[in-house]
Amino acid sequence: MSAGPDTQWPRWEVFKQDGPGKRHQAVGSVHAADPQHALYTARSVFARRPAAVSLWVALAQDIHAITLEQRQAGATLPGTPGPAQPYRVFGKASQRRAMTFVDDLGTVEAASPQAALEQACERYGDDLLVWWVVPEPALHRSPEDAPSLDSWFAPAQDKTYRQQGSYGLVGRHPGERRREQP
Amino acid sequence: MTEAARIHPGETPEQHAAFEARIQRGEKIEPGDWMPAEYRRQLIRMISQHAHSEVVGMLPEGEWITRAPSLRRKLILMAKVQDEAGHGQYLYHAAETLGATREAMLDALLSGQAKYSSIFNYPTRSWADVGMIGWLVDGAAIKNQTMLAGCSYGPYSRAMVRICSEETFHHKQGKEMIVTYARGTAGQRQMAQDALNRWWWPALMMLGPHDADSPNSGVLTRWGIKLKSNDEVRQQFLDEHVPELLEAGLSIPDPLLHQDEQGHWRHGPIDWSEFWAVVKGERGLNRERLATRQQAHQDGAWVREAMSAYAARTAPTA
Repeated sequence: MSAGPDTQWPRWEVFKQDGPGKRHQAVGSVHAADPQHALYTARSVFARRPAAVSLWVALAQDIHAITLEQRQAGATLPGTPGPAQPYRVFGKASQRRAMTFVDDLGTVEAASPQAALEQACERYGDDLLVWWVVPEPALHRSPEDAPSLDSWFAPAQDKTYRQQGSYGLVGRHPGERRREQP
Repeated sequence: MTEAARIHPGETPEQHAAFEARIQRGEKIEPGDWMPAEYRRQLIRMISQHAHSEVVGMLPEGEWITRAPSLRRKLILMAKVQDEAGHGQYLYHAAETLGATREAMLDALLSGQAKYSSIFNYPTRSWADVGMIGWLVDGAAIKNQTMLAGCSYGPYSRAMVRICSEETFHHKQGKEMIVTYARGTAGQRQMAQDALNRWWWPALMMLGPHDADSPNSGVLTRWGIKLKSNDEVRQQFLDEHVPELLEAGLSIPDPLLHQDEQGHWRHGPIDWSEFWAVVKGERGLNRERLATRQQAHQDGAWVREAMSAYAARTAPTA
């Protein structure tokens, strides 16, 4: 691959909330010029179908990530104390199959990412597989007032042609046919 | 590939043993975890090729958006093409977690250095081809991707889960479209049959060379990247699709196709020389597809410049 100058826009991690009361989950990333652009792109990429009520984005460089394996090897997050501020913590709790994401756990007040991680470990368990620690001001959120929330996510609800259920069953179900086989 | 060849300088057999024990326990490997350089290299190769395939896959069907026979079909096709773009994004993201950059991957695609699935180098001759791609090509892709959803690398497997749930919509709308034609007028039935004749063999070939000729399979299986071989996935694809195509009243262009004693559908010999000619760009639309991508990239330059200028103007001054 050619080693030209890196002119790509910065990378933003995207957190999606599927429904009211559910946790935001890290679902992937987009490249974008600014937070608004990142949110719009995230909506196009990750909320083309229902099951989204909120999106958060954060610059990849503002996310402090560490795995259990790294912690066991003695790695830590930046620990130089600064002013105390809220940090959002995300964790991945399970290895079961594929559908395990880095999920929002809550907020802690700390003076450094490492201090936030230590608090989070105390509060949410020391055995999580992946931790992400993000200063609250680094998170940019989709609008939360009812009318704009509606215009952001409701349109996907009406697009029945995007749902596999709109196409009914054509012929017999493969499982049914398999059961008939000798 | 020998044991020695897989352990790169700076890596120890103990690290490999611990890594392979994790795979054996069914654990997902996450970005940041230790992994063999060869595991990382193979994943970047596979994931970026897969991402490029999604992006180029927009072209054969995108050509038909303006010619869709009804507004409903147009909306469906637009949603599908938009999905393919999204799938490319999910996958580029998964490759980025391994240290590849989006820009380098796109450069490799646009310069022709990177490969993508040769299935997208076949032309779409009629509207029925659009349906047949949904049924057969997306059907074959789902079989492969369902397997990859269980792979050992966390971000890749998660991308695959999302992609499979969306591909199921592509598969069903394609099947619905073809079955509608197969039950239609003589002319419509002929259109569906011609499309099947064109896409049957390419769809079988897109699942890759036979196991005996597949150079990367050993190490990919050992590290839990591929959980089934090309021939196993192809067999699953046949067993699901042959009965459905026959039920729709279509005939499959393979005189040697038959069911064995176990009820599995067996195909006749595949013409791999044709496959390799398309992979190498000697046949098919490789040059045209790349030229279209390059043109689209150039035509979008002003948008990228405008976005950057806007971001610079509105950025809070330090």
